[in-house]
Amino acid sequence: MNLLGRAINPNLRTKFLLPISAMLIVSMLLASGYMLDRQSDSFRSELETSGETMIKMLAINAESGVLFESEYMLDELLLVLARFEVVRYAVIVNLDGKVLSSTGKCNLECLQHIKSDHTVEPGGLCYKRYAEDSAGVEHLLLSTPVTTRRETVSREHLGMSDQVGTGLAIEQQDEVIGHIVIGLSLETVNEAIAEGRVAVILLSALVLIAGIFIVTLIVNIITKPVTALVAVTDTIRQGDLSRRLDIRQNDEIGHLARTFNSMIESLQQSREEIEEYNRTLEEKIVERTRQLEDAQAQLIQSEKLSAIGQLAAGVAHELNNPLGGILGYAQFTIEKLRKSTSKQGTSKEIASFLKYVSDIETQARRCKAIVQNLLKFSRSSRSVDFETVDLNAALEETVSFVEHQFRINQVELEVWLSPDLPNIQGNLGQLQQVFTNLLINALHASEPGQTVTMQSRISPAVGEFGGAVELLVIDKGHGVSPENLKKIFEPFFTTKEVGTGTGLGLSVSYGIIRDHDGEILVSSELGGGTTFTVVLPVQKSAASTDTGNRTKQSNHRQEES
Amino acid sequence: MKKILIIDDSAVMRNLLLDYLADLKFDVDACGDAEEGISKAVTGDYDLCICDMHMPKASGLDVLRQVREARPELQFVFTDSLPDQLSEKVQKLGTFQYLHKPFELEQLRKIIVGLLKPVRTQ
Repeated sequence: MNLLGRAINPNLRTKFLLPISAMLIVSMLLASGYMLDRQSDSFRSELETSGETMIKMLAINAESGVLFESEYMLDELLLVLARFEVVRYAVIVNLDGKVLSSTGKCNLECLQHIKSDHTVEPGGLCYKRYAEDSAGVEHLLLSTPVTTRRETVSREHLGMSDQVGTGLAIEQQDEVIGHIVIGLSLETVNEAIAEGRVAVILLSALVLIAGIFIVTLIVNIITKPVTALVAVTDTIRQGDLSRRLDIRQNDEIGHLARTFNSMIESLQQSREEIEEYNRTLEEKIVERTRQLEDAQAQLIQSEKLSAIGQLAAGVAHELNNPLGGILGYAQFTIEKLRKSTSKQGTSKEIASFLKYVSDIETQARRCKAIVQNLLKFSRSSRSVDFETVDLNAALEETVSFVEHQFRINQVELEVWLSPDLPNIQGNLGQLQQVFTNLLINALHASEPGQTVTMQSRISPAVGEFGGAVELLVIDKGHGVSPENLKKIFEPFFTTKEVGTGTGLGLSVSYGIIRDHDGEILVSSELGGGTTFTVVLPVQKSAASTDTGNRTKQSNHRQEES
Repeated sequence: MKKILIIDDSAVMRNLLLDYLADLKFDVDACGDAEEGISKAVTGDYDLCICDMHMPKASGLDVLRQVREARPELQFVFTDSLPDQLSEKVQKLGTFQYLHKPFELEQLRKIIVGLLKPVRTQ
């Protein structure tokens, strides 16, 4: 399959090698054929030239021998000729066709030519042709006429001249008196041609091999980097970007390789960047999802607290009338009973009535306090004086209220106050209520010997919200479970024993801080302590004008007990 | 004897104030309906009106607005069981005494005595 594929779709190397080699072979064949042809021609023409010279010389020397039909003279002549190996045969005949002398094997066939060939003019070129003898061996046949000069005196001219001697008109004419035929062997020529052919073939083969070798080298120079390029491209396609082309050439291919390498380099870089980006993207998504979940949880929490606040406001509204009745009637009754005892003296019965009603009044006052705290938790309770508050001073004062309790419980209170804290707008009393609440909660969560840390600082988120300060209360106590942490700001939620707390402390703190446009945050680990963070905005322009209005109004308002 | 009108939809508060103020020797009248209260306040010769802020048909603010033109000399003490924007609106119309329920009777007495001083001198 692969072979078939290769045959149909040859690779680059084959595409180069095959046609170039074929061209090389064809041109070598043509060249060597031409050379052989030329060589053979030149050998033959050389033989012909020397044959012509030889036969002409022979014709001149044989003149007298033929003229006198002296076999002896002619034999001498041919004997000299027979010394040349190349001469196969030589025949001298007279005009009648009688063989005057011969040497070598001469058949009659040769002689037949003489008659037909004597057409060659005297003194002209000799006749030559390649003939085969009876054995079929090819040889060069040459024939030429033997001539003699005949002088003829014209009688007519004699009469016309006065002076004898000078008056003789002599005509000179060449007359054919016989023929010479020689046969020259082609053996030497053929041997030389054969030798030449072997040499040409060997040379051609050598040149061809060298040519193919050089072509292969050149093709390799071109195809090797391309093959390497293909191999690297394949590995890249499979996702491995670590491989590089190792081609150090200063030509176009070298340039291509360098460009390719730098291309892979940037590809690898951008892939790493993408991978890195993907990795961080996942982390970012996880982080954002977590933030979103937190924000959502906080939103749900604040929505829930807001709903509870509305409920609390409704409950407070409904309770305040009956509670007013209970408290009022208790107080009215007490007043009446006191008046009657002052008139009639104290009877035992009235004294006990007075005590009962006083109990009702006390409990009604307690109910009143609870309802008022509920109202403070709900948003509608926002009707207090705002003033410029030095948070550090407020904190120091709060610490002075509670440090006695810390000492009694053997819990250390560490206070870190940032010296360059900006002032805020708020209600000092309410803020101190929040701080006290947080500190007392931290104290209750701590074991003797532990430390509670209170810290004030400029919020790290400064700038984003236009500036804020933070108060942190950190204890190393028993901590709060995640499910309790969700409910920690809800009214009446408490982990303390029934009767020891109202469960309104943190919800009131929540309401107060929210009324200050701030935030109260909690983070806790079961057994690892709890951190409350109160974030309060610094001097918002809107808040300060709002505060101004409220301050003016409340001057005319009757303060509650 | 100074005449006091109580407008409050809460029966228990109405009764308490009626009993308490009558005991303090005031001529006390009460009604639980805001509209009825307005007509009484306009037509009657009351010296003081103790009015609740939150009532079904009209608020304390409505009572104040409607009664004030006819009886500018009438004194007002407002009570409420839920502090909200209404109290702020009332404050914009003048200086008025304000009590949040449940309040101390002694506190109410002091306010009324302060507002109706001539009674005490008589």
